Amino acid sequence: MALLSEVKKDYGKLKNYVNGEWIDSNSDKVIDIENPSTGEIIGQLPLSTVDETKAAIEVAHEAWWAWRETPPITRARLFFKLKELMEGQFENVARVMVQEQGKTIDEARGETRRTIENVEVAAGIPSLMMGYNLEDGAAEGIDEDAVISPLGVFGAICPFNFPAMIPYWFWPYAVASGNTYIIKPSSQVPLTQHYLTKIVEQAGFPPGVLNIVNGSHEVSDTLMEHPKVKGISFVGSTPVAKYIYKKSAENGKRVQAQGGAKNSLVVMPDAVLDRTVSNMLASFYGCAGQRCLAGSNLVAIGNVADPLIKKFVEASKKIKMGYGLDESVNMGPVVSAKAKKKVLEYIDSAEADGAKILLDGRKAKVPGYEKGHFVGPTVIDQVTPDMKVAKEEIFGPVVTYLRMKDMDEVLDFIHSSPFGNAASIYTQSGKWARDFRYRCQCGNIGINIGIVAAMAYFPFAGYKNSFFGDLHGQGQDAIKFFTDRKVVITRWF
Amino acid sequence: MVECEFPECTTFGAVIRFALELEKGASGVYEEMANELKSGPAAEAFKALSAAHKKRGDLLEFTRQQKLNEMILEPIQDMNRNNYLINTKVPKGIDAKSGAKFAAKIEDTSSKFYLDAARIAKNLMAEASRIMDKLGKESQANKAKLETL
Repeated sequence: MALLSEVKKDYGKLKNYVNGEWIDSNSDKVIDIENPSTGEIIGQLPLSTVDETKAAIEVAHEAWWAWRETPPITRARLFFKLKELMEGQFENVARVMVQEQGKTIDEARGETRRTIENVEVAAGIPSLMMGYNLEDGAAEGIDEDAVISPLGVFGAICPFNFPAMIPYWFWPYAVASGNTYIIKPSSQVPLTQHYLTKIVEQAGFPPGVLNIVNGSHEVSDTLMEHPKVKGISFVGSTPVAKYIYKKSAENGKRVQAQGGAKNSLVVMPDAVLDRTVSNMLASFYGCAGQRCLAGSNLVAIGNVADPLIKKFVEASKKIKMGYGLDESVNMGPVVSAKAKKKVLEYIDSAEADGAKILLDGRKAKVPGYEKGHFVGPTVIDQVTPDMKVAKEEIFGPVVTYLRMKDMDEVLDFIHSSPFGNAASIYTQSGKWARDFRYRCQCGNIGINIGIVAAMAYFPFAGYKNSFFGDLHGQGQDAIKFFTDRKVVITRWF
Repeated sequence: MVECEFPECTTFGAVIRFALELEKGASGVYEEMANELKSGPAAEAFKALSAAHKKRGDLLEFTRQQKLNEMILEPIQDMNRNNYLINTKVPKGIDAKSGAKFAAKIEDTSSKFYLDAARIAKNLMAEASRIMDKLGKESQANKAKLETL
């Protein structure tokens, strides 16, 4: 099968987008952007300076009041326009994403769809940010209103696994509610966000309302320290999420910081095995296991363990790896050489701890893509709860297989984890499913579904060390995060 | 001859790509046969079928863009591409009767492809499955119509 064409071979040195203009960074620090499937360098990212970040914050602050005074319905119209333009560029957005991140074209198309869905939901802002009131609420003849108001400048610090969608969990809601925004894209995968921002520019948002500042921790730290930034949204690893939460809170900001995960997929003895295995493949190997909602521990209850593992390994062997622009590919590479090394170390550690590697992806090669960072599907049996691979986030296409006797044991195991992002159960029993959703202390619960990805109108939840903050991304939670309630008590003489 | 590149049907995107190639192939074949026959009821029927297959391609593009949901992107492991390949090389100087027979074979293969894809997609995306089912049934109807020419 021929590859789909790449949007560009080389994206050159990226610029910042500040005050409605694409401007060069003065920084002499530049890092390469690599295509993880081919190993080719496809662009350069400047690491913007503290002063450049401060200047962008000032611009966003300057733009805020006029934007705040723009009626919500007018703001909404820009999002309708943006949605229409994004639909026109749908395929190109997906292809840029494949080039820089390594996911398959179907995964990238799915992500593009979810990105647009957040724009669609944010376009409902006139209804979403209505306040409430009560006549004679304070006393006879004295009415009380709660109005929902924007706060000012917000910023997002973004991860590498969803280059398009994750910034869109935040900024459309922030900007639609009347705030201005600064995105620091992932330094590994900034291209998709740049492509999307060119579409935002075409939609006609006023200068300074949305800004992009490329860079690394200098940009992040400046956003977290600057007094004119009201809040920070973050998605990434747990140690960094904790750092962001603490530092932003110390500086008096609102924070929503999504951390890591160690998700268990639990298979009960009555599960429909063919459908279960097929669905779990997407969870464990989708995006090469680099989703915060990816399955990681596969836990079999009772006598389903042997038939399940047999079917699962057989199906895993058929996963086709390659460059995601080949539409027949099921799984792409991990994002970098560093990420691959880390995944391989985890597999080595499982072997050293006495687990049995049933399917070994460590030496996987894809002909024609020898420089790509491919790790093949890996299934590790005889894993015990105390092993490192059962406890830590691997972020690769690695399945750790555990056998347990009943629901109590599996819930104890899930609850012993410091993470609480997601968990799924496969069963035909309503009783077991109900028991699981009720008792399981994770933010996202799947019943016969392995990727519990909340739609744009629901919050992307997360418990324990998987989320720091109280209001999540997307939907009504996002509107609350980016606004405050102002109470007005009125009496007329 | 219309060049088609049929992929292995291992993903939702590849199934749609296969379908798009089928539509391109069918539309091209019918256009070529209509041009060959120049006029008459068969030429008109082929012209209409060519346009209809182009339209089906648009529907498939729309389906790919609007219906794809990464939550249920499961690998597809039981569709063998070799069962659904079509011949797009129209024999030189083909007459109306042979043309109709040639076309009916395309519609027959196409119908098998869509009905199998609909069955598989049912577990993944009900909306996509309905569209595949509709296209499969349309191909069956096209075949029946061609057999009367």
